[in-house]
Amino acid sequence: MKRIEILNFKSPNRAPLKVEGFLFGEDSKGPSIAIVGAMSGDHINQLYVASRLVEYLRHKEEEGKICGKILVIPAVNTYALNMGQTFWPLDKTDINMMFPGYTQGETTQRIAAKLFESLQGYNYGIILEGRRDQGMCLPYVKIIKSDYEDLDVARDLGMRFIHYRPYSPIETVMLQYNWQLWGTKALSVVFGKNGSINHSDSSEVQGSLVRLMAKRGILDLPVFEGFVSNIIHPENITLLKASHAGIFDSVFTCGSSIEKGDTLGSITDALSGEQLEKIIAPVGGVLTCQYSHPLIFQNSIAFRIASVEQ
Amino acid sequence: MSIGVIEEVFSIDLPVGEQFRIQRCRYTPERGEILKRISIVSGIHGDELEGQYVCFLLGEWLRANPEKIKGIIDIYPAINSLGIDSITRSVPFYDVDLNRIFPGSKNDFLPAQIADGVVSAMMGSEIAIDIHSSNVFLREIPQVRIAKSQAETLVPLANKLNIDFVWVHDAVTVLESTFAHAMNTLGTKTLVVEMGVGMRLGKAYGHQLLDGILNLMACEGFLDIEPLDVRMPIQSHVGEVAYLNASFPGLFVPAIEHCQMIEKGSIVGQIVDPLSGVTLDEVIAPIGGILFTLRAYPIVYEGSLVGRIFGENV
Repeated sequence: MKRIEILNFKSPNRAPLKVEGFLFGEDSKGPSIAIVGAMSGDHINQLYVASRLVEYLRHKEEEGKICGKILVIPAVNTYALNMGQTFWPLDKTDINMMFPGYTQGETTQRIAAKLFESLQGYNYGIILEGRRDQGMCLPYVKIIKSDYEDLDVARDLGMRFIHYRPYSPIETVMLQYNWQLWGTKALSVVFGKNGSINHSDSSEVQGSLVRLMAKRGILDLPVFEGFVSNIIHPENITLLKASHAGIFDSVFTCGSSIEKGDTLGSITDALSGEQLEKIIAPVGGVLTCQYSHPLIFQNSIAFRIASVEQ
Repeated sequence: MSIGVIEEVFSIDLPVGEQFRIQRCRYTPERGEILKRISIVSGIHGDELEGQYVCFLLGEWLRANPEKIKGIIDIYPAINSLGIDSITRSVPFYDVDLNRIFPGSKNDFLPAQIADGVVSAMMGSEIAIDIHSSNVFLREIPQVRIAKSQAETLVPLANKLNIDFVWVHDAVTVLESTFAHAMNTLGTKTLVVEMGVGMRLGKAYGHQLLDGILNLMACEGFLDIEPLDVRMPIQSHVGEVAYLNASFPGLFVPAIEHCQMIEKGSIVGQIVDPLSGVTLDEVIAPIGGILFTLRAYPIVYEGSLVGRIFGENV
């Protein structure tokens, strides 16, 4: 294992921003993969999975099990991680909205450019992502239709769901889209609840990453098969919104199978304690995501249910 | 008599005994058929306050001159009302830039629902003017920014706004998520004004833009007044914009005032190190022209924008 410096960026007053990568194996031996962890300061679970993976791979390297090249970058925005912020602490820009980056541009464009340069040439690219809303979810693969995507790579992760959808305009400046355009088979694994660690989800994601690397000939390991992934399109998802604001209680966990008519949760008035509504499942399926903060806004999405048919 | 009717166009319950709301003040003609509508918008970013002052000035003028009103004039001073009242640029709680989520959706999280509510309220307006203040980092002269694809329609309107600069830029896909793009797509001619600096207001710029808005409304048939004598803005196509980015982290100390003519090779400012007392770098003008953007917040990292100069094509 080599511990390499991806970038070193000076600050006016803080110690320099150092982004480090952990490199295993070598190019000539087989296919290559790069895995990017926390790009935001609240992606703690992503940091956790990436750093555990580094430790795991260190042992596998000692055992001679690495057949290709693996780069793991556990954390990009360490400045934000170290002060409980989400985005770049000075100007609040999101590094994952700055790709492919620009070496002569603004600070986070330069950071993105340097990072992107270090990610070039890999066969496979995995971005460990948190959610962009106040939710938590079952681990799933997010892959956007850029015309360069490769669903077979997503399937090799063996995760339960693959969310496959067209990209939105803002995703054209995100890493997955640009990485795909530059020739890497890139996808995102989305999981957890921002700012926290879920050990079960972390294990599942790490297992999926190892499975992918084994199936693609990067690791020489026997692995269990995962799920035969369900490809989920936007029309397979039912959104359940909160009609009222208040205190939100959920009685299910993400990943639960639910039946039509099940009571999934309730909302009570935050001041009077009166129950304002029960949230009832209008369809059966799997609860993939739910609102994760105890205070809920009116019309917020409380639950997402993935169903085979709508 | 039209003195402005305050209406709530979007409301959503917050968790604990409060509503998030967007309000507008609507002015209508005292008599005659109403054919057209214009929307004046500010506060999509909660740390940008110049537009609030312009909204006040315009409301004050309309209250004093109700007989001059020929169309519906809607004033929306505070779109991100939670942000404005808490010095927060993005939508609080979600930390999402509202101007990257348009046209929004009723079936998405709160920021998207706010965006959807804004679009629904303004849909049908013939013109919208979206007033921004740069951010807390940069000070800007009054300018309108227009995507190249919209230039033919919008530049003639922008020229009526009494601003200093019209900047026509290349289309960028990510900007398809802005309020202006969403409204232009829906047929509302929408101008984006940038002026001043975040978290502050400049009275002079406010009055300058008020004159421009009155002139535009006179020219476009919203007000029964003679057009005002307004300045013709510099057009970006006649020159080039040079970006000045910091090469070192430190404290940026400007050497000249904002909005000055500057010669190629002259010093725009210095980047200094307060700890060692060393001057780390001098920021030099790469072209001559007008310094239309100047950094207002002095802490810089490598790459931080410290200024922009508009100069004539060589």
